[in-house]
Amino acid sequence: MAGWMGRVVRVDLSSGEIRDEPFDQDVWRRFLGGRGFGAKVLWDELRPGVDPLSPENRLIFAVGPLTGTTAATSGRGSVSTKSPLTGTITDANTGGKFGVIFKKAGLDALIIQGKAPKPVYLLVSDEGIQIKDASDLWGKNTDETTDLLLEREGSRASVACIGPAGENLVRYAAIINEKHRAFARGGVGAVMGSKNLKAVVARGLRTVEIADKERMKFVTYEANKWLRAHPITSKGLPEFGTSVLVNIMNEAGIFPSYNFRQNMFEFAEEVSGEAITEKILVRKDGCWGCIIQCARRTRIPGDEGEGPEYETNWALGPNCGIHDLEIITRANYLCNRLGIDTMSAGGTISCAMEMTELGYYDAGIRFGEGDKLLEYLKKIAYREGIGDELAEGSLRFATKHGHPELSMTVKGQELAAYDPRGAQGQGLAYATTNRGGCHLRGGYLIGRELLGVPRMIDRFSAVGKGSHTAILQNLGAALDSLVVCRFASFALNEIVWGRLLTAVTGVKYDPEDVLEAGDRIFNIERMFNVREGFSRKDDTLPRRLLEEPAPMGPTKGRVVELDRMLDEFYEFRGWDSNGVPKPETLRRLGLEECLNG
Amino acid sequence: MASEKYRELMEEMKRIGRIVFQAGLNNSHSGNMSVRVGRRILITRRGSMLGFLKDEDIIETGLEQDDSGISLASTEVAVHRAIYKGTSALAIIHSHPITAIALSIVQDEIVPIDVEGSYYIRRVPVIEFEFGTGSKEMEEVLPKYLKNYRIVMVKGHGAFAIGDFLEEALHYTHVLENIAQITWRVRAMGIDTRQFEREYFHKW
Repeated sequence: MAGWMGRVVRVDLSSGEIRDEPFDQDVWRRFLGGRGFGAKVLWDELRPGVDPLSPENRLIFAVGPLTGTTAATSGRGSVSTKSPLTGTITDANTGGKFGVIFKKAGLDALIIQGKAPKPVYLLVSDEGIQIKDASDLWGKNTDETTDLLLEREGSRASVACIGPAGENLVRYAAIINEKHRAFARGGVGAVMGSKNLKAVVARGLRTVEIADKERMKFVTYEANKWLRAHPITSKGLPEFGTSVLVNIMNEAGIFPSYNFRQNMFEFAEEVSGEAITEKILVRKDGCWGCIIQCARRTRIPGDEGEGPEYETNWALGPNCGIHDLEIITRANYLCNRLGIDTMSAGGTISCAMEMTELGYYDAGIRFGEGDKLLEYLKKIAYREGIGDELAEGSLRFATKHGHPELSMTVKGQELAAYDPRGAQGQGLAYATTNRGGCHLRGGYLIGRELLGVPRMIDRFSAVGKGSHTAILQNLGAALDSLVVCRFASFALNEIVWGRLLTAVTGVKYDPEDVLEAGDRIFNIERMFNVREGFSRKDDTLPRRLLEEPAPMGPTKGRVVELDRMLDEFYEFRGWDSNGVPKPETLRRLGLEECLNG
Repeated sequence: MASEKYRELMEEMKRIGRIVFQAGLNNSHSGNMSVRVGRRILITRRGSMLGFLKDEDIIETGLEQDDSGISLASTEVAVHRAIYKGTSALAIIHSHPITAIALSIVQDEIVPIDVEGSYYIRRVPVIEFEFGTGSKEMEEVLPKYLKNYRIVMVKGHGAFAIGDFLEEALHYTHVLENIAQITWRVRAMGIDTRQFEREYFHKW
């Protein structure tokens, strides 16, 4: 079968059973792979209310039909689960090469359930799948774990593992692959830790069958032509990395700092893409087969690694009032070794800083105290002292101390590096994500509102944003299921993705079929969340963004006009006024399985 | 007239309508355009001049259901609705670009031979209808094509372009007419343009 490998394996860590699942071609065609396949499994298999850290939860590693092909940015992997941070469905997506090697091992997906009686790791190879003892790895950081496993399983393998944060069930623990890349958000590392699963090691040499090689060749040529021509993918990202956005967003007045108390940062220059290039860059790098090369190989005194990426840079820097690039970079490296999501870590610490500043609760750390940042990250990973509270995420922490309004989260997950008071659509996007606060899953409206991709729209206007947001969410859900990088979409639209998918699989996908698949995936995720009790009341933003006007710059005086956009959004999506997909919407998308859910 | 809450979109329709007319993509009274907001659409009034739209020339009606506005809406309103229901478009421009229409009369597809055209549009199908204006057949067929292409030509009639914004649909329309003009001018030099057409664009 072209595109997909035709193999799904289920591992029950409680019983040690490993078995092949029937490969349902219809499911893969409709849900594509990655995030889409994960959502389908979670809808089908999880009962409502299940504890995300219980053996019953599923952890699904999956790739897509384009993974490992010559399609642009197809070197990625995806993991899906029920989030211990938000209680929603979640998925996390990583770069590097893990996804490709996983597919070369001959798999499309690995469904993990249960809990091993002692620490284990999984070896997924083209020779078979094994559960192996990881007792000696438990307690080690991700660098040490990766080195030991590569020594054990061969240097051609790829390791995705958890660090101490995942072992200690930090609610925003990440899974780290190739030491520097992360399945970062939503606490996927904690779910892995709850299963006593230290790592998944992939190893394989199989190739992906392409249905129409000739067509694939010319569509790839056309796609790469655009990637090489577009200023963002050919210049901005390769030259300055993702932190190219720092100055752009700051000048627009949507670069939050001090836990979103400000919408600009007075020291932005010091943490900009230009500063990274000048001060710490060793060389640029990229994921498997990618021509964009946006990753930064960096060096600081006594240490070397990758990053910081834009969101990490912001979360551990300006949002905490910190502008020392060396400290931010060191904190980034530390998060990777401990296995923590940098964004939620930064968002939680900045919340603690504001609680201290306002005298609500003395968390022992204030804005700008970079010298304490590393210590706090370690406390979080090992749940020591105040770290035990902060490991729960900013919403639980702030609520415990009586001030939930200081948690800059949606559905309990910390927001990203864009202040939506200056980008109305992004505000709606944040509010309606299926995995909680996220700039990507909500539909990256910043592309249209600030970067002019494909056209610039009025960022201060609320009119029409509901429709735009829904379409971008659908496209994003499809791309996460293919599984490709969002950056490629600065240059490539659904027409190109449809053509690539058709060439690889031999199944005809019109551009609208790609968007419809995304619509289906977004809706089944929504139904999962509805089943868990989420509704319109949860599609909201922190009070600060709705009521406190932005204090400075071009965005000064603005708040997010959420309700107005939300009504249009529900209407466009075919949901009722409480945010529940209507039966006719579910039927239109072929989601009959959700009708009685 | 459309609700005041759509003021920004109404102004955008006036701006784009003016450009469409000034660029010669429509004559004084031809063509129409619309935008979708949720389950509502704003569409130009039947017989309105796209180059000089006033508030009362922009009609608001439902995506599925008629209301009183329907009697004033463009003759092509049913086609617009069908396109919105069949695709993810948020904006539609129907225009009458002269050179592209001329090419559509003599060939079954329009393929760019210029560099700019080849980046934005690799192939434009030409579709023939017995009744080429506001017909049931167009309602059924056009959405199927527009699921796969962002702009199509109705043979001897005009172009339907879609996008997430009017400006995007306008861009496709402009690029199409440029492709047609360049093709026509090269042919006017007595040169067969087919030698410049990339083979794989025909399969796009």
